[in-house]
Amino acid sequence: MASDSSPVNTPGGANPSTPDVSISSPIGNTFSSPGDTDRRKRGRRSDTSTPVAPENRQFTTPDVTPTPRRGGRRASSTTPGAATPSYASDAPPSSEGGEGDDADEAPPMYVWGTNISVQDVNAAILRFLRNFREDSSQTEGKYMRAIHHVIEMEGDSLDVDAHDVFDYDGDLYTKMVRFPLEVLAIFDIVLMDMVSRINPLFEKHIQARIFNLKTSTSMRNLNPSDIEKMVSLKGMIIRCSAIIPEIREAIFRCLVCGYYSDPIVVDRGRINEPTICGKQECLARNSMTLVHNRCRFADKQIVRVQETPDEIPEGGTPHTVSLLMHDKLVDVGKPGDRVEVTGIYRAMTVRIGPAHRTVKSLFKTYIDCLHLKKTDKSRMHAEDPMEVENGVVGSDEHLDNEEKVEKLKELSKQPDIYERLTRSLAPNIWELDDVKKGLLCQLFGGNALSLSSGASFRGDINILLVGDPGTSKSQLLQYIHKLSPRGIYTSGRGSSAVGLTAYVAKDPETGETVLESGALVLSDRGICCIDEFDKMSDSARSMLHEVMEQQTVSIAKAGIIASLNARTSVLACANPIGSRYNPRLSVIDNIHLPPTLLSRFDLIYLILDKADEQTDRRLAKHIVALHFEDPENSEQEVIDLPTLAAYLSYARKNIHPELSDEAAEELTRGYVEMRIRGNFPGSSKKVITATPRQLESLIRLSEALARIRFSEKVEKKDVMEAFRLLEVALQQSATDHATGTIDMDLITTGVSASERMRRENLVSTTRNIIMEKLQLGGPSTRLLELLEDAKKQSSGGEVHLADLRNALATLATEGLVVVHGDTVKRI
Amino acid sequence: MVGLPYDCLANPLGAVRLTFEKAVASGSDPATFEGKDWGATDLFRQFIFDDGGLSQVPFLNPSTMTWVQPNTLVRFWGMIQDMLGNEFYVGAYKEGETWRTNKFADFSQFPMAVDSSPDMRVWERRLLYCVPVPGQNSWIEHSSESLFNPSSISSPLQREKRHREDDTAINDIDMQVTDEEVHACTSNKKMREGGIASNSSNTGDTLNEDIDSSTSVLPYFDRTSFPCLVKIYDSPESNLKLNDVFEFIGVFTFDPEFPVDKNDTNDLESSLCDDTLTQMPPSRVPRLHCLVHRKLATQDFISGSPTFELKSHLVKSIREALLGHLTSILGNDGVAANLITFSFYLQVHARVDSIAVGKLSLNLTCFNKETLSVFGHRLNLALKNLLPFTHCIPLSVDYLNKVSLVPKKDYQTNRLASGILQLAEGSHLTIDETQLQAGTLNSTGVENARVLRNLLELQKVEYDFTYYKMDMPADIQLLVLSEGKSNILPADLVLPLCPVSVDAAQDVETEVLRSWRWYLATMRSLSHTIEKEMQKVLEDDLVAARQADRSLSSLDFSRLLTMGRLVSLSFGETSLTLEHWKMANELERLRKERLQGSL
Repeated sequence: MASDSSPVNTPGGANPSTPDVSISSPIGNTFSSPGDTDRRKRGRRSDTSTPVAPENRQFTTPDVTPTPRRGGRRASSTTPGAATPSYASDAPPSSEGGEGDDADEAPPMYVWGTNISVQDVNAAILRFLRNFREDSSQTEGKYMRAIHHVIEMEGDSLDVDAHDVFDYDGDLYTKMVRFPLEVLAIFDIVLMDMVSRINPLFEKHIQARIFNLKTSTSMRNLNPSDIEKMVSLKGMIIRCSAIIPEIREAIFRCLVCGYYSDPIVVDRGRINEPTICGKQECLARNSMTLVHNRCRFADKQIVRVQETPDEIPEGGTPHTVSLLMHDKLVDVGKPGDRVEVTGIYRAMTVRIGPAHRTVKSLFKTYIDCLHLKKTDKSRMHAEDPMEVENGVVGSDEHLDNEEKVEKLKELSKQPDIYERLTRSLAPNIWELDDVKKGLLCQLFGGNALSLSSGASFRGDINILLVGDPGTSKSQLLQYIHKLSPRGIYTSGRGSSAVGLTAYVAKDPETGETVLESGALVLSDRGICCIDEFDKMSDSARSMLHEVMEQQTVSIAKAGIIASLNARTSVLACANPIGSRYNPRLSVIDNIHLPPTLLSRFDLIYLILDKADEQTDRRLAKHIVALHFEDPENSEQEVIDLPTLAAYLSYARKNIHPELSDEAAEELTRGYVEMRIRGNFPGSSKKVITATPRQLESLIRLSEALARIRFSEKVEKKDVMEAFRLLEVALQQSATDHATGTIDMDLITTGVSASERMRRENLVSTTRNIIMEKLQLGGPSTRLLELLEDAKKQSSGGEVHLADLRNALATLATEGLVVVHGDTVKRI
Repeated sequence: MVGLPYDCLANPLGAVRLTFEKAVASGSDPATFEGKDWGATDLFRQFIFDDGGLSQVPFLNPSTMTWVQPNTLVRFWGMIQDMLGNEFYVGAYKEGETWRTNKFADFSQFPMAVDSSPDMRVWERRLLYCVPVPGQNSWIEHSSESLFNPSSISSPLQREKRHREDDTAINDIDMQVTDEEVHACTSNKKMREGGIASNSSNTGDTLNEDIDSSTSVLPYFDRTSFPCLVKIYDSPESNLKLNDVFEFIGVFTFDPEFPVDKNDTNDLESSLCDDTLTQMPPSRVPRLHCLVHRKLATQDFISGSPTFELKSHLVKSIREALLGHLTSILGNDGVAANLITFSFYLQVHARVDSIAVGKLSLNLTCFNKETLSVFGHRLNLALKNLLPFTHCIPLSVDYLNKVSLVPKKDYQTNRLASGILQLAEGSHLTIDETQLQAGTLNSTGVENARVLRNLLELQKVEYDFTYYKMDMPADIQLLVLSEGKSNILPADLVLPLCPVSVDAAQDVETEVLRSWRWYLATMRSLSHTIEKEMQKVLEDDLVAARQADRSLSSLDFSRLLTMGRLVSLSFGETSLTLEHWKMANELERLRKERLQGSL
């Protein structure tokens, strides 16, 4: 912008467009006392000087307090009235008509040491504030509205999205990041000017708080070249100091005559106490005393931020950095919060002692905080589903990085992406490809749907793995846990009902009752991995009913009645009863889980350890390779974990596939076919092979499959694959071992249709026997005799005593017999 | 070294300056020196490694502290206990027209303008908090100290005694400090007491009064009492990792006169730049500006020992002798001796996802009061004599409830407070479970038990950062002594000890011990591979075994392969042969037999 690039320092005293430049650059340069940098800060504070302070731009010296430049600006309450009108009247072209061409009229002023013209920046900021619109349809600029809003709310800061600045004026953005002190000072002046024109009576100062920089630095990479630059970094607050009141204006009173002095502004971190009373009549010496309650103080706080665990390289410890917070920023975050900080990186020299003028050759660094954003809202609060869907809260994953997104998109275009992802999922667990595919679907998830009528359908896919010990179920679980964006891993035995849902606790400090979320609530929008599902107590397990279909956790205890979202996928794994799977028993008998719960799992996989030499060999090969080869070489063509995680979170956030007509048709057709399959020709008994729940599962699965391809449309092939997955899972789990067909009754009631048929037969046989043999009100018969008869009569298969008892119980409810211990009597 | 214009040993900073001036004179712009070396470290490298200067460089330890002069070249062996982040300093500046450098120094040698000009270059260096390797055995110091010691400080023989001396040695130094300083120190101490008392045992503040009480709580962790703050220049981050053992050679600065003036500084400054200066005033913790650093392998600790040639018959004879020794220590239980030696060569050589390949923990069972007092004690002694770093944890309910096993970040001081399980790579840890009685574990106890179990199963220690935990990979050789099979600590190998006879403890000659140490260290560092044909044999064997016994899991296979590897390593072989594989299988068979028998 600045066509004139000569780095001249023009003393700005006479410049009409910059009000009251009290200190011109050359003079500043002659200062060399350690405190002189504070003068610049004061200059900034009083908002009247341009930020052309020339002295060392890099370092502030800890004079008494390294007074930060921000925060103190309110101190100059007297100045704006005087300064702004003059500004407005002196330079009308800059603010109204021509946008920024006032540079022609006034001699240009430059930021010291650069070729950045103050006027240019001034005009650019003005243009940005006035004209920036998010979309062209809006009549008023985004920030004009924001300014009006701030004035209405009597706020004191204006949040400025750095992305907006960049979009509007890349050059301004660069200048702002590189010379934040100077540019922000101009920013504030422009704001002040605008505000006073909108509402001349508005007294407060509005500061610009920049956030959302284009690039975010890692704490580890901060280096000397970042000093005095605007940086943005993510971290976790680990320590907050107490709030430090910092004096801004002091008022003194004369002890002799009671005269109050004018407010004295902090100068270079010091208050110059008047030695003489200001009243002409008094003039007493050394009589002035500070009046504490008439002084003005500002809040200040020092916060320490530490790197988040994911940024720490192996074998390192987290780095920390100090933040200096002012006024409104004080106490915004508390220890444990994950935050994104935007601020100015500063360094100050360390003095050997307060009495020593000599400084050590060391610097202490801190960040003068401009803006603090909590990136991790407590999950209990992030309840607005729309907000989450739109990624407002889910900004913990920064995937705005376009390059990265491009890469992911490219990856998704590969024809074998589905297979590749499958291969990359837990690469050191071999085989189990179909299980992995199922897990992949779970990771990607379907679309949650809520109708206007209030009904909602979950999009999360629940999976149960049942299998023999030592089939790496737990490893799969661990892996998924690591991969899923938000996951909790618990073990069934170690989980209690409250531990899974939520519990009410008393805060030890405040005595308030607080709701602490349990694993399921914490894994909202993630995957809750439950190991040793079978060993979980019944009460804990029953909590899952609600979670797995309604996706909420309702609590009513200790005065808190709440319904918490728990939109979580459940991945559970269980060992069969008696530790090994008994193929002669049904799944239900094997895992001993209530059918009500079992039916809530979309996919149930049986991982059986078959005595197969082929698999053994593969296992042996794998382990040998693990021990004696470079593990890196043996894994090729595998997508690494971070990429996989990025892929996943991008897909979950941005891809929301819908069913195409073709796919819908296929779904209907397939479903009908599945149901027809249950009707055996020539057999009157009906076996239900598919339920509406399965249909829902199918929809979810096909949506997830489309998501894997980054496709917005669910296609026919997705549906077909979903059918295949479901069938693979069902075939393994819902096979009725007596007939060899898929039988959903097995899952839903625990009893297969053929078994039920057999029971009914037995009941009728028994009824016949009793009708034949026993007289009404006659003598009773022993159970064993009945058993003998029943065995004779029943055409095929064994009749057990237990079966007979069941049958008799049924008859007893019919009112046919009375059973007394071992005797049966007809009534 | 006659004729050199500088003395690397006595005036290293002079040498640094000289090279700097030379570099500037040759036309390089000092501004480009950031993050680079202008030839200073090359000079020292040459001096230390090529010209054999290494042996002249004195060690920095409590006993040498008394006579080593500040601003001379020293070396320090230590484990990186904590990383204190980066420090910005004025790297180069202009004094008048001349460029000066501050690299490798705390203070500027020449007056420096306070708010100087653009001609001031800010560079950064890393701060590492190093401590002597935890569990370091006394024989290492014998070799390291006896070499140079102009003043006649005899190396103390016993740990306890040595420890006392450390204290006095430093107290002596403290005495030299001016009265004013002492005053400042005590007042500072008072001010800081609250902060330090909580982690005094761990931060390693030698002078802290309660050091004795803290050592009584942690009787096996008193070696970290001589910390050193090492400043690293221009080294990529990935080179130096937490818990690595390094040798740092550099400029030693120790300034007992350094004024401590915490009382007057205002809160802002103290809270912004607290930490290093307050907690570790230079008058307590020596600084070392590192010029050259290298990672230490176990062999490096056995200095002065004869280097043997790696000949198979020699290795075999040493192996036999060592095994014989251990067998007699364990009451003629050859299998146990064999398995114990395994752990000596152990190394986690790969990590695939969460599995640590190459770990093998041993659980010796059937210890009771009598056998423990005989064999346990002797075993411990033998381990101490053979391995560089050993540790013993006496597991009891009380101990579990009280002790802090994992390192924990203390946010008040912003330091990583060490825990017992912060061990250097290759440390040997004996967990003595025989003293465990029935009792109630509190939450700390449960957590500690979980941590130990994790270490055993995954070779990982979870460091506690309050708001989150961080897994740190560990590589620790583990031995569990227990009465029955330990359920709290499921080891890979369980073996009931069957002592046949109790021989009188034999003394081993130092020379023999040395050869054994050398043998163990060398064998451990060998790389190991497996030939294609052998892989086929292994696979067949494993498949056959699994067909025969379905209960064999991948874990069993892993264990067997690790054993094979260790057997072959113990012979100094770099690839597995059929013979050694058979031996491993035989050992496993014997072990299983005994396990069956003991049930």
